[in-house]
Amino acid sequence: MTGLRTTRSRPIVASLAALLAVSGCSVAGADPIGGGPGTLRIVLPEEPPTLEPCDASLTATGRVTRSNITEALTEREPSTGRLEPALATKWTRNSATSWTFTLRRGVTFHDGKPFTAAAAAFSVKRATDSKIDCNVDGYIFADSELTATPVDDTTLRVTTAKPDPILPLRLSFVEIVPTSTDPDSRVREPVGTGPYRIDDWNQGRHLRLKRFPGYWGKAPEFAAATYVWRAEGSVRAAMVTNNEADVAIGLAPEDGAGDRAVEFATNEVSYLRMDATKPPLDDIRIRQAVNYAIDREGLVTAVFAGRPTGQLVSKGVTGYNPGIKPWPYDPDRARRLVAEARADGVRTGTTLTLIGRNGIYPKAAEAMEVVQDGLIKAGLKVRIKMLDVNAWLEYLLRPFPAGDTGPTLLQAQHGNQAGDAAFTMGQIYGSEGAQSSYGTDALDTLIEEAQLASGGKRQKAFADAFSHQNDEVVRDAVMANMTGLLALSPKVRYRPDSATNDEMRLADMRRAD
Amino acid sequence: MLTLLRRRAVSSVVPLLVVVLGVFFLARLTGDPANLYLPLSATPEMRAEFAARNGLDDPLITQFGDYLAQVAHLDFGESLRTAQPAGEAVLRAFPATLQLAGWTMLLAIVGAVVIGALAAYRPNSATDRIASFLSSTAASVPDFWIAIMGVLVFAVTLGWLPTSGTSGAAAWVLPVATLFIRPFGVLVQVVRGAMVSALSAPYVKVARGKGASELRVVFGHALRNAAAPALTVAGDLAVGLVNGAVVVETIFGWPGIGKLMIDSVLQRDFAVLQAAVLLTALAIFALNILVDLCHALLDPRVRQRAAA
Repeated sequence: MTGLRTTRSRPIVASLAALLAVSGCSVAGADPIGGGPGTLRIVLPEEPPTLEPCDASLTATGRVTRSNITEALTEREPSTGRLEPALATKWTRNSATSWTFTLRRGVTFHDGKPFTAAAAAFSVKRATDSKIDCNVDGYIFADSELTATPVDDTTLRVTTAKPDPILPLRLSFVEIVPTSTDPDSRVREPVGTGPYRIDDWNQGRHLRLKRFPGYWGKAPEFAAATYVWRAEGSVRAAMVTNNEADVAIGLAPEDGAGDRAVEFATNEVSYLRMDATKPPLDDIRIRQAVNYAIDREGLVTAVFAGRPTGQLVSKGVTGYNPGIKPWPYDPDRARRLVAEARADGVRTGTTLTLIGRNGIYPKAAEAMEVVQDGLIKAGLKVRIKMLDVNAWLEYLLRPFPAGDTGPTLLQAQHGNQAGDAAFTMGQIYGSEGAQSSYGTDALDTLIEEAQLASGGKRQKAFADAFSHQNDEVVRDAVMANMTGLLALSPKVRYRPDSATNDEMRLADMRRAD
Repeated sequence: MLTLLRRRAVSSVVPLLVVVLGVFFLARLTGDPANLYLPLSATPEMRAEFAARNGLDDPLITQFGDYLAQVAHLDFGESLRTAQPAGEAVLRAFPATLQLAGWTMLLAIVGAVVIGALAAYRPNSATDRIASFLSSTAASVPDFWIAIMGVLVFAVTLGWLPTSGTSGAAAWVLPVATLFIRPFGVLVQVVRGAMVSALSAPYVKVARGKGASELRVVFGHALRNAAAPALTVAGDLAVGLVNGAVVVETIFGWPGIGKLMIDSVLQRDFAVLQAAVLLTALAIFALNILVDLCHALLDPRVRQRAAA
């Protein structure tokens, strides 16, 4: 009996022992986040799914890839909104549909190959006209068609099917890769011309970049950067206060970064989209009442961090209209407007559904409660429905859910990282826009005209379109320009800007000592 | 014994198929991944193209049939998010979870046997009362709270341990301690209960009468009889650990299967989710069979029933 037990139990004991023996080998000791004083340690909310440069408009990928590993022909300066030279030193418009770019000399890729117009043309084609479904393609180029042709080693010609006044800005989203990059499938670890190259990516654990000695520009101060990712904001903040990381991003005020926290303006704007096709929201007075009923100052002081605003783009974006002020909080006026509409037979007793999204910004549900309270005081009936991102997306994007959902107000947020109102207006306010629930012919015309204009005319045309939306259409209740929060260790000096959430340039981070 | 093993393996096939079927269809009820993977401004043509390329435009039943055929060839599809084979992602994450669960259960079992036996040795003594109070508290504290408090106290305030990560032995302390508390609490109560009745059984009196040492009476005679119920509960708890380390792995950035599952649900990464659930289900069935085998080893009646 005893003998039997020993023999039979041996495999179980052995497998348990083996399991425990391998512990500590493959997990422990595998990912030193440190790496010496020359290493910058950054903690992100999530691991980049891939570093594919043509997906650089995805936040998780772009904030590691853009301007660190790969670079584009042009780059937009977030503080001024100006387009600056990067891998192209200058560009000229030859005709309505043709542009010439002069490329920088003496630039080499991480693999030692020189950067030429052929590589630039290849990168444009790969990002905009291939079957690899680049995020940049849909986000920046949508249905525009372009052809890039190398003229000589340092000259690139780009032509578009339709006139495109902001082509150089769009090209600031095309990260340049060598012609040896696979054109037919995505790459996880790209070769670029940036100041850092990929040193080691231990999936699930850490990603390490190393300074590229052959970089054409000024060498960055930190010799290396190590990225790790932690989903929990309080853990990210604690890593900086505990000296495990130098930079932590995507924090909320309650995460406890204390005096290590740095606040910065982002280009994210929070708003409520009103479904103006259904009563009572089909009456402009009700939509105005919703705007007057929201206490924006109260929201940004007591609920989330930000600054009240009246339009979907922030300062620095082409088309921003400084004349549009946030709607004032005027509960009496809101009540009067609702009463007036009711007297005219508008069905103000219909229940409005406030569709919120959990975690869209800190205290998202509390923000919706404040809004609900204001609307009820104005004489409207409102219920809140908080959804997770997947279910919420069904309401954000066309086609909207079938069946009668009743009149809805959708909690949403928009960040125009490209710097031109073209990336806001069409999709959000155009009658047929992917995120649009309602539009008017007059507004569509204004948007179309603005999209074809250039220079000062473009600025004015978009600003006028915003103004028209705000005065005549009132499709939404814009609430606040949101504030971002990151934590910095005493070792690092860094000034975040409105692009920081999407692009964290390691070269801008300097030693504090 | 082999009969028992064979029977359990055969009876596991149907539940396994149900799991595979369930996760396949439930995942697809969460909505269209194109909304997440394509830019918000994507045109209907881009969406159609995305669906076609990822085989999401076929009828669900066809998709399921294709999937089963793939799985039969050990091909688990490709991750939508990373464009890498889903099977590889899962196999990379699984050892991290197993190691975490293995250490946690080992410590919980050893700790619970010692504390449970001590408490049961003199029922209603001060030791017993303290152990009972602490174990019932431990069994009911939420993981999330323990994890965050652990970080605040031991990493931020005292600076003894790292906040998160997997580097070095110190990084294991907080995740293991967080996961350990509940199984430990439950097991102490089970061991105590079983030991109280075992210690009052006639064969213990006989053993004592024969002059066996107290240590031998408690750990040699009584514990062997108390082990069976504790083993069953420990098996269930271990299953919970393999399956439910989601919170702990997410908070501590532990690259395990729980974190992988939650990420793939959020990202509608169907292939990875399916592969992760399938492997976890397999592991749970294996664990259950292991528990049954241990039962059979401990209890000759189980062996006889199996052989019959």
